[in-house]
Amino acid sequence: MLKVRIIPILTFNGFGLVKTKQFQQPRMVGNPVQAARVYNSRGVDELLFLDIFATKQKRKLNLKMVSDVIRECFMPVGIGGGIDNIEDIRDLLKIGADKVIIKTAAINDPDFVNKAADFFGAQCISVAVDAYLDENGVYRIYTTEKGAIPVDEFIPLMSEKGAGEIVLTSVDRDGMMQGFDIDLVKLAGKSCQLPIVVAGGGGEPAHFTELFSQTDCGAAAAASIFHFTQFTPLDIKRALETIGKPVRL
Amino acid sequence: MGAVVIDYGMGNVASVQKALRFLQIDSVVSNDKTIIREASALILPGVGAFAQGMHNLHESGLVGVLHEEVLQNKKPFLGICLGMQLLATTGTEPHTCQGLGWVAGTVRKMEDSVLRIPHLGWNTVERTRESDIIQQDKTDCYFIHSYHFDAEDPNVVLATVDYGKTYVAAIEQNNIFATQFHPEKSQDAGLAMLKQFFQKYA
Repeated sequence: MLKVRIIPILTFNGFGLVKTKQFQQPRMVGNPVQAARVYNSRGVDELLFLDIFATKQKRKLNLKMVSDVIRECFMPVGIGGGIDNIEDIRDLLKIGADKVIIKTAAINDPDFVNKAADFFGAQCISVAVDAYLDENGVYRIYTTEKGAIPVDEFIPLMSEKGAGEIVLTSVDRDGMMQGFDIDLVKLAGKSCQLPIVVAGGGGEPAHFTELFSQTDCGAAAAASIFHFTQFTPLDIKRALETIGKPVRL
Repeated sequence: MGAVVIDYGMGNVASVQKALRFLQIDSVVSNDKTIIREASALILPGVGAFAQGMHNLHESGLVGVLHEEVLQNKKPFLGICLGMQLLATTGTEPHTCQGLGWVAGTVRKMEDSVLRIPHLGWNTVERTRESDIIQQDKTDCYFIHSYHFDAEDPNVVLATVDYGKTYVAAIEQNNIFATQFHPEKSQDAGLAMLKQFFQKYA
């Protein structure tokens, strides 16, 4: 039986790990290579490593740092940050990334996802969907541009373009540690048949049991809970086991 | 001469080599025919589309030497993910095309009205018979694929995985061992299988 996945996210500013709240106020939380080593020794299901400032600062991922992180991992690793051409993806796969996470380039040029999936196979092309609830109660893609498209239009488009997975983050819940946005997850789940990783809001094991009992998502990702509390991925999986979810212990 | 990880432009060689290094197994990444002939074992990794994979193997002129080494000289062979699928007679991704044809079967798209595709994540690999390489009856390994190997002869199937239906997870036929999952990404469970493969054959 397929297990539900619990995935630590390492968000990175080019030098060190940072953690934001609602995508603002980055706070330094440590060294990425050390963190990767700890997560590998704890046998986590997967790891996401995202440079959340690469696009904004118009720079490429620090391949040396990424490669040092990957070297610590004997589990799947997804890498994101500023990826906007085929060469970027090739470089990351070459140093051992299993998946790349594309965000801004997928919004600006949906055909790039198509091109990337045809070239490398859908299984290694994940699309990041960062969503917020607007004043009219519509979930929209979070971008600096105006008139961002609704989530339930963007996700089907990405699915049609050949994405292999959706990494769905609630901007409103990011870093707040008060629970996942269940309505957003349900909406995304109805919008496609792709596997979905849900992030944003997981602050204690009960938030994860709520997410997995109320939606059919296959994976949850989180950062703050691992940086700022004593809970480990294993604690979350033990909690999920008590509600009958298949987990890898 | 150690193991050779075959480089045919279908990615994923770095993680395979990292796992071998961890197990202290000598390996080189190469597409050189002389080196392939001298290798003690061959590893065909790979992610991506079937037709592209076959195209790249033909393009690099490796199909002949692989046939010779694996089928005639019985060199130990490990195929991973696409590297397992390419052993089939026929592939269908994205169009019908011929595979290496070492293991009779067809690689088809997974279809399911309820479950999400790709089949992605950790799932239970269930052994269908005794084997030196897969030592546990059930073990969790990491899968990521949208196509599956439909084998003609059930006797070549060493392990299966359940995702709505029962799919082939591993194949063992003479000197050929191949997995749909990624042992190099499956932490202790996967590393143990790689170790057993090399202990058996090297």
